Amino acid sequence: MSDFRCMIVDVEHERIDPAAALEFVADPAFGGFAMFVGRVREQNQGRAVVGVSYDVFEQLALAGFDDIVRRAQEQFGPRLKIHLAHARGRLGVGDVAVVVAVGTPHRDEAFRACRQVIEAVKHRSPIWKQEHYQDGSSEWSEGCSLCETQARDDQPESRHDGHAHG
Amino acid sequence: MKVEVSLFGAFRDYEPGAAVTLEVPAGARVADLRSALAAHGRAHWPGFREGLLMRSAFASQSCVLGEQEPLPASGPVVVLPPVGGG
Repeated sequence: MSDFRCMIVDVEHERIDPAAALEFVADPAFGGFAMFVGRVREQNQGRAVVGVSYDVFEQLALAGFDDIVRRAQEQFGPRLKIHLAHARGRLGVGDVAVVVAVGTPHRDEAFRACRQVIEAVKHRSPIWKQEHYQDGSSEWSEGCSLCETQARDDQPESRHDGHAHG
Repeated sequence: MKVEVSLFGAFRDYEPGAAVTLEVPAGARVADLRSALAAHGRAHWPGFREGLLMRSAFASQSCVLGEQEPLPASGPVVVLPPVGGG
């Protein structure tokens, strides 16, 4: 069985299950587990949110997920299991949008790998978020330009930090 | 040559079918398609935000394309506005 499981979950048919994610990364050799759970929050920049729709270019997103978890394995492995799931479709406030679960022998690698994976997902994956507001309006979130990310990646000392969103 | 362009995210609001077909010169590169899509947007999409297109990447079915890369020989090209999952 693979040490990685990456998926896009169509919320019309199923929901992301954080418990299943933790179960997947369980291993008798591991003592460290870290999990990030992203849920839809009720406010965005002071406006009341009633839901969020996620649009996903699935083929490229899954290829990118594979690349993200393999980079994490190179950096923090080789003993490492990762579960990565992101929602597609409309969610309500409090619904789970994304889960990253990591299991490793010790806690340090688990925390660091989990952080690295979720940041890469947010900054590089072809996923878009449209927020639906209480007043009936909807807006696509301004995100990270993949042109700019790619240009930065071409720099030898490139880093992606200094800003936060979502 | 004709190129089918698939639209995601904010671009879906401009085109209910989430796709347009554009004419570009034979041997066109990504930059040429960007220009063609900008012209299409100005002509056909009310409220078109050209700045959004300028910050958008283009991709084949398997990878993000550089600005000077030739367009894929087959299959649609995908426009990727700035991303923001999670």
